[in-house]
Amino acid sequence: MRHRILIVGLAVILVAGVSAVFGLRHGTSPNASAAQAPGTRARAGQAPDGQLSEGIARAQQHLRAVPGDYVTWAALGSAYIERARVTADPAYYPKASGALRHSLKLRPAGNPAALTGLGALANARHKFATARHLAHRALRADPYSADAYGVLADALTQLGNAPAATEAVQHMLDLRPGLAAYARASYDLEQHGRLGAAAALMRRALGDAVDPADIAFCRYQLGELAWRAGRLDAAATQYAAGQAADPGYLPLLAGQGRVAAARGQTRTALAGYAELTARYPSPGYLMEYANLLRATGHPARAGQQLALAAAALRLFQANGGTDDLGAAQLALAQGDVQPAVRAAEREWSRRHFADVADTLGWALHRSGANGKAISYARKADALGARNPGYLFHLGMIELSLGRSSDARHHLRAALALNRHFSPLDAPAAVAALDRLGA
Amino acid sequence: MRRLACTGLAVLAAIVMVLALPARPASAHPLGNFSVNQAVRLDLYPDRIAVTAIVDLAELPTLQARSAVDTDGDGRVSAAESVAYNTQVCSAMARAVALRVDGHRVQWTVRPAGFGYRPGSAGLRTSQTSCALGAAAHLTSPARLDLVDSYQAGRVGWREITAAGHGVHLLHPPVPARSVSHSLRSYPADLLGSPLDQRSARLRAEPGDGPGGGAAIQLNRGDPVSRWVAAADRKLEGLVGGRLTPLVGVLGVVLALMLGAAHAALPGHGKTVMAAYIAGRSGRPRDAFTVGAIVTLTHTGGVLVLGLLLTATTSLAGEAVLGWLGIASGVLVAAVGAAMLAGVLRRRARVHGHHRPPAHDHDDDHDHGHDHRHGHSHGHSHHHHGHPQPHPSGPPRRLSLAGMGIAGGLVPSPSALIVLLGAIGLGRTAFGVLLVVAYGAGMAATLTAAGLLLVRVRDRWASHPRRALARLAALAPAGTAALVLCVGLGLAGRAALGVLH
Repeated sequence: MRHRILIVGLAVILVAGVSAVFGLRHGTSPNASAAQAPGTRARAGQAPDGQLSEGIARAQQHLRAVPGDYVTWAALGSAYIERARVTADPAYYPKASGALRHSLKLRPAGNPAALTGLGALANARHKFATARHLAHRALRADPYSADAYGVLADALTQLGNAPAATEAVQHMLDLRPGLAAYARASYDLEQHGRLGAAAALMRRALGDAVDPADIAFCRYQLGELAWRAGRLDAAATQYAAGQAADPGYLPLLAGQGRVAAARGQTRTALAGYAELTARYPSPGYLMEYANLLRATGHPARAGQQLALAAAALRLFQANGGTDDLGAAQLALAQGDVQPAVRAAEREWSRRHFADVADTLGWALHRSGANGKAISYARKADALGARNPGYLFHLGMIELSLGRSSDARHHLRAALALNRHFSPLDAPAAVAALDRLGA
Repeated sequence: MRRLACTGLAVLAAIVMVLALPARPASAHPLGNFSVNQAVRLDLYPDRIAVTAIVDLAELPTLQARSAVDTDGDGRVSAAESVAYNTQVCSAMARAVALRVDGHRVQWTVRPAGFGYRPGSAGLRTSQTSCALGAAAHLTSPARLDLVDSYQAGRVGWREITAAGHGVHLLHPPVPARSVSHSLRSYPADLLGSPLDQRSARLRAEPGDGPGGGAAIQLNRGDPVSRWVAAADRKLEGLVGGRLTPLVGVLGVVLALMLGAAHAALPGHGKTVMAAYIAGRSGRPRDAFTVGAIVTLTHTGGVLVLGLLLTATTSLAGEAVLGWLGIASGVLVAAVGAAMLAGVLRRRARVHGHHRPPAHDHDDDHDHGHDHRHGHSHGHSHHHHGHPQPHPSGPPRRLSLAGMGIAGGLVPSPSALIVLLGAIGLGRTAFGVLLVVAYGAGMAATLTAAGLLLVRVRDRWASHPRRALARLAALAPAGTAALVLCVGLGLAGRAALGVLH
């Protein structure tokens, strides 16, 4: 009897000791899931989103060991949103949503990080009213969260509440002056047509940037500001500098494509757009590509790209997004005027953003309702954005209404800002001015 | 002893087999609507190498490839068009999948193995292309294989590589033998998983009929006890976050005590080995209490310090700290084990070599000021009708006792850490500290109980009238010393693997 007890005891010790060595323990081992290791390692080796991937891998590993850490769950969710932005892959949105909601479930009250993340997700999905609401809730939990002010600023900008957006950006600048705040402040100034001040702030943001992807982002924005002002060489220089910092930052390809097209290097421009849309088939880029194809005499290929844009838009909606602005622009490009008007009106009922007013005005003009169209075209230009696209639309509507001198003024202003502003619209503006006998 | 060890290992192997079930939930949804996904499967035979490559295009790439498939533009994909596209993709694949055997690039023969559409989201379709690549090879002697897949390198997507040997043995393959995504048919949906992005693999092959399996991807589901402990962990975390009434407070403390006790009973951290140590070193009941107290103190202090560090800085990775503490704990256990073994061997050499009377032997182990306590051991040996037997060694030295206690409490239990962090986050720091103390006390209770039990068992066993058993008891010190040393090395090695990985 006694020795039986002893044998059992010894066997228990043995099994316990050996299993400690072999790692039979449940879950808590640091390398419990080797399954993820190869993937994360390979990702981290890639230059473009190396830091982001490392952060994601660390958070994932941490959460496997400490699954109740709601702060890290929120951080992981936000990192997934960032990943979706960098890779243009909307499949990360449901993942981000899952992580953020899990964080909120673990800690329903007083969890500003998760609310801020969900707000950023809502912005990414173009649900700006939801984003505003979430940002307000986050700010009630933590009135000093610069990130929450950032989400609020983005939502208010897109909702067309420019004064409140400016105020939110100011809060963010006061709380944490840095790349994110400078970039938003720069965009805010750009909306008000203050391109010089916007560029100055973006250069400050560039001074703060360390990560190659951030440097590329700032260079791209500086390039866009130069392009807006028609300074092709300056824009090309910025795009090239961005590409040197991070060749994987894809929007740079769009910028370079626009510059190449303006310089008459059609083949380079088309090749650039082909590469861009192969790697980043977003509805916006596909429509730009289609415009360029049509302007250079490839209507059939332009139609293919528009069909792709329609599919990309459907997928965006299937992943929980809403984008009637994109739908209206696509319908206009495809010549479906009435659906475009309806989509633009739906978007306008949700938000009074300048782009929406511009698209709605242009759709109404195409449907022949120029009287209604001009009020929206003016609303688009209300902040004084000095956007050549807006000015072109306003001028063309005025031309249809027989207001020749206003039309001449606005069309000239558009071309004065950038005489290459669009491969299709810039030549149309020139032709209209010719007809006006300017 | 050895037979016991064999039996124990066999039982353990059986447990491992049962637990090593393929796990991880899978989802039918593809990875992303923009993605180009690939699975490259490598099969190695003594005389040839075969690659099965599958390319899964998500909705948009499928649409983008439409004009490459439907070459006559009639809106339909004919059988001829399908084969032509399949051939075209597979030729590109054969150029992009580079395999070098001992530095020489393999020339593939290409066979298109299928192309088809599947319904995707938003009323769109996805498409799958399969290719079979093959080449003759001589894997009848050891060879190094380097596989690099650069097909559509710029596109976002899931990329996996698997490798299996058939009559060829793969040495520590870095890639699994089976596809986690069932060859891109279902991708694991896990909030904590990043898409697989395996673009290259380096394999070492040698002839032989080994299992040929790679690192199977498995998730430990744990035994019922572990599952119960995990459930109780969540319960306690919930309690900390909920409304704090006196009843909830008492409940929380009781639960923390129980959890601590259960955690100490679960294998790991070498806690259980300490009980064996006390028994093997002929410790007294008091020693068991001492170790228990030291474990409680060390564990509570460790959790508090680490908890404060983790809340104070964000740059500190908790994982890494736990890993390094694991190494320290393992090294400490190993050091104590080595000291024990050295002591036992030294004593045995003297006993066998010089037949020295036990009384002299004790001089080595004298704890200053405690000599009078030897009476108890003496009493035992003199009962045994004068049978020649090595005398049990003296009581454990204070230093190694403390070492064992510290090693046991050094690695903070993650669940105690979470409870503390959660409490700090809720502004209930004092409650959190109380729970951590209770947790440590629970751990100490199990440990002390196990130690006491073994001391009792040993004492009875040592006084057993049957000679063989008594002799076995005499072997126990050496056995436990070796076990403690092995477990310590194992713990340190495993923690080091985790840190260095």
